[in-house]
Amino acid sequence: MLLRKMWRDLSKNKAQFISIFLMSFLGMFVFVGIDAESSGAGESADSYYREYHLCDLWVMGAGFSDDDLRLAAKVKGVKNVEKRLSLTGTAEKTDNAYMYVNFMEENDINSLMLYEGEAFDGQKDGFWLEEWFARTNKINIGDTFSIKIDSMKIDGRVRGIVDAPDYVYYVSESDLMYPNYKKCGVAFMAPGMYPDAENIVYNQLLVDIADEFSSEEQLSMIKRKLENRFDRDDIAVTDRDQNLSFATFDAEIRQHKAMGAMFAVVFVAIALLGIVTTMARVTAGQRIQIGTMKALGFSKAAITLHYVSYGFVISAAGCILGAFLGSKVMPAWILSMFEGSYLVPDLSGQVTGLDMAVTVLAIFVSTTVSFLSCRKELKDPPAVTLKPPAPKKVRHSGFEKSRLWLRLDFSTQWNIRDVMRNKLRSLMGILGVMGCAMLLVCGFGCFDSIKGLMDKMYGELMTAKNKIVLSSDADADYAYDLAVRYRGQMIEEKKVEFVSDTAKKSGSATIVDKGNFIHIQDRKLNPVKLTDKGIAMTSKMAGLLGIGVGDRIRWHFVGDDKWQNTRVEQIYRDPSIQGITMRKEVFEEMEYTFKPTAVLTNKSVDPSLSEEDEVSTVLNIEGMKAAFSETMEILNAMVYVMVLAAVFLGVVVLYNLGVLSFVEKTREVATLKVLGFSSPKIRQILQKQNLWLTIIGIIAGLYAGWGMLYVICTTVSDTLDMFPILYFPTYVWSIGGTFLVSVSVNLLFSGKVKNIDMVDALKGVE
Amino acid sequence: MEERVLIEFKDVCKKYAQGDREFFALKDANLSINEGEMVVILGPSGAGKSTLLNLLGGMDSASSGHIFFDGEDLTTYSDNQLTKYRAENVGVVFQFYNLIPTLTAYENVALMKDIKSGTTDPKEALAAVGLADHMHQFPSQLSGGEQQRTSIARAIAKNPRLLLCDEPTGALDTDTGKEVLKLLQEMSRSKKRTVVMVTHNSFFADIADTVIRVKNGGIRSIEHNDHPKDAEEVNW
Ligand SMILES: Nc1ncnc2c1ncn2[C@@H]1O[C@H](COP(=O)(O)OP(=O)(O)O)[C@@H](O)[C@H]1O
Ligand SMILES: [Mg+2]
Repeated sequence: MLLRKMWRDLSKNKAQFISIFLMSFLGMFVFVGIDAESSGAGESADSYYREYHLCDLWVMGAGFSDDDLRLAAKVKGVKNVEKRLSLTGTAEKTDNAYMYVNFMEENDINSLMLYEGEAFDGQKDGFWLEEWFARTNKINIGDTFSIKIDSMKIDGRVRGIVDAPDYVYYVSESDLMYPNYKKCGVAFMAPGMYPDAENIVYNQLLVDIADEFSSEEQLSMIKRKLENRFDRDDIAVTDRDQNLSFATFDAEIRQHKAMGAMFAVVFVAIALLGIVTTMARVTAGQRIQIGTMKALGFSKAAITLHYVSYGFVISAAGCILGAFLGSKVMPAWILSMFEGSYLVPDLSGQVTGLDMAVTVLAIFVSTTVSFLSCRKELKDPPAVTLKPPAPKKVRHSGFEKSRLWLRLDFSTQWNIRDVMRNKLRSLMGILGVMGCAMLLVCGFGCFDSIKGLMDKMYGELMTAKNKIVLSSDADADYAYDLAVRYRGQMIEEKKVEFVSDTAKKSGSATIVDKGNFIHIQDRKLNPVKLTDKGIAMTSKMAGLLGIGVGDRIRWHFVGDDKWQNTRVEQIYRDPSIQGITMRKEVFEEMEYTFKPTAVLTNKSVDPSLSEEDEVSTVLNIEGMKAAFSETMEILNAMVYVMVLAAVFLGVVVLYNLGVLSFVEKTREVATLKVLGFSSPKIRQILQKQNLWLTIIGIIAGLYAGWGMLYVICTTVSDTLDMFPILYFPTYVWSIGGTFLVSVSVNLLFSGKVKNIDMVDALKGVE
Repeated sequence: MEERVLIEFKDVCKKYAQGDREFFALKDANLSINEGEMVVILGPSGAGKSTLLNLLGGMDSASSGHIFFDGEDLTTYSDNQLTKYRAENVGVVFQFYNLIPTLTAYENVALMKDIKSGTTDPKEALAAVGLADHMHQFPSQLSGGEQQRTSIARAIAKNPRLLLCDEPTGALDTDTGKEVLKLLQEMSRSKKRTVVMVTHNSFFADIADTVIRVKNGGIRSIEHNDHPKDAEEVNW
């Protein structure tokens, strides 16, 4: 019978229990969904890496012989070493797409995964092409294909369509983050395909480490040993974390986990508050019933169990269903957006032990919370519980005695008292509104920050309309002629490796000639002049390396064995490219030759220019912006989730709150009616309180949203230095949206004021 | 009729702290009730009648003194023992019925099966109070008298040795009240159950075997009625 009573009680308090159900549902849906997605994607990638032997260390240098290979293989813990020549070129047949070209004989490390055609063979000729590139450009097995590397041209037929574990993520150097497979691809071939096959010089050693040596310390020890063994200045040993493909995917997954946790905390916290307030009200409302059951001889344990099972049933239903559906729906949805960004085969979600543990914990906490909130009514002997509760000690606060108080009108006084006496309920209202405003601010803020970032990158820091990217065929004279013809500015962009006492990082260097298209800004984003005394470093890179102005940094250009030890003269801030910038004069003082890689210009560029061998591509500012915003697709999707969640959260919490306070105030409202207050007047009184709570919640939400945005911006990735920006419309949308949610939910309730039957409401006997 | 003492109070006090003073809701109460008796506790409002009844039903604990039920001292009982005592031996009828609003009349009575074995069939119990036709209505769909009869059915379904009623007719009109009284009297007469009824209405004294008068927390008198009236004969 008690079971039946429970079902009837649940359906009588439908609105509140449904809202608790929804909140636990949503919390678990998002958390388990995102966790299953990120764990599953991580696991898919791991097993892909394992099965296809993604190398553990890369040794890069100017040239490796077979002796070097043997030398590396002798290091304890090294299981296998292969050599590879890795270059970049262009594919003539596909509109000069940017190509990563790899020559190798063996393929037991970074093994190619075959989609179509024949398996890789280091003795045969022909090309093995990355699948997405091939598919996007409609290249099939047997087609002819050709690649140009500098002045060399390689022709052949396509033998296989493949995927490679070290190219899970790849972009051309001019694409910022988002892959464009039309314009960029990867090709693998046997050394025999290299034009001067006799004299091929390998520039990479791929090192596979035995499983039993894969711990962090052992790995870095092997790394050091390799560096020592070669004892050459031109080599760099990098690990997976320094590998663009691995690190990008890894960072993406970690970011999802953080996002998921953040969502879950917000929703679970509010669901718990909902349970506390609802259970407290349900048990308080059933005080006499509890006393009766006790008098009838039900044991305390039986009654406790009865009420605790309310919380248990609701939260268990919400959490389990949420976890279940979340683990099915979210991974499928998010992973479908990975399609084409991350080339990991068989991406699928996976429910982890953590998910189950968190689900169980959430149910446990909800149940405990409902236990704590009904314990109060169960403590007293039945004789006490059977009487109406002793009225709360009405302590008049100092404020209520002050002169100001007396000058407030009745509705203000009434509302202040009501808020003070229902602190938990009011807190829940504020938190709900705050959560809503926070998610809106943060969501729209993400859009703003991306737009701000783009406006800064293309418009403040780089002000040229066009960028003519030169190929390696172009010499300094060619660039100089172009610069004169287009009144442009020449720059050289190179990859650099930095070593400080605490870290080793790769980044890029920009060497600028005279001109007015490259600008830098200090940490506070004020424009400053680039130093002419030495190098300037981006603040994010300086932070990663743990150095500041005046400190010295050891660095060298990748592929160049000359190391520099230079004082950092200036710190500047750049949102997208981390590394150093210096003037051409400084560069030449270090005895390097300036060989421009691009010319920036405001003049419109002759379309035929990109046909020339010396020009790799011509980019315009709109195209660069568009390419960049595509990189943010997944972030955009997250923003939509946030905005949806915000509105949902607001509605659910405020609706729950509305039911709570409405039920609690029914008697008071009826009394007011008897006293002669009109319904509109009463509505006005009730709404005053909602207005206050909404305003407080919105103010708190604006701050919290800014904080959340700050966290997202600063942790988004190692190479992006985003700064949180909120434009004016965001405030309007967030505040307006929250108000809209709050007001429309409240209208729902104030409409009911008219329907309160005075006689009915006051009849109930105690 | 052989007389067997079921309940005994020995110097029972119940006091409440009121500010820094002590207030005795019941002071040095001594009484004894025989099994099968119909007892009426009479007194003005605030006299301590409910306090006495609550102590009797194990719903409250005494500040001092001893309460014996069938020779066992209730004042030495733990919470759990008191719960068991209530479940096994006591049936309660309240002034405001206190039915579970979300359960039908039938279900309210059937509820007793959850706490005690060997309860009367709910249908029988409801038929006994004349509610066979209203079994599946919710409390809010029953009149006051019907609700009170449901609550009596609930109390007697347990087959308790002790039936406690706190102002059972307090919220009812005269005719319905009379029916309830008749029912209670029958419980004591034909079923040999001990019925203790609290009331402020002195007319009820006539139907009792024993009348205990209470005032200002003290027992004023205990009288025995050799020829109690039938409930139908009482008028108020
Ligand atoms: N929890 C309590 N705290 C203080 N005084 C109480 C409490 N419960 C009852 N009393 C006092 O004890 C006295 C007896 O109460 P009660 O037995 O309920 O009277 P009644 O005879 O009307 O049923 C009353 O004066 C009442 O004010
Ligand atoms: Mg009383």
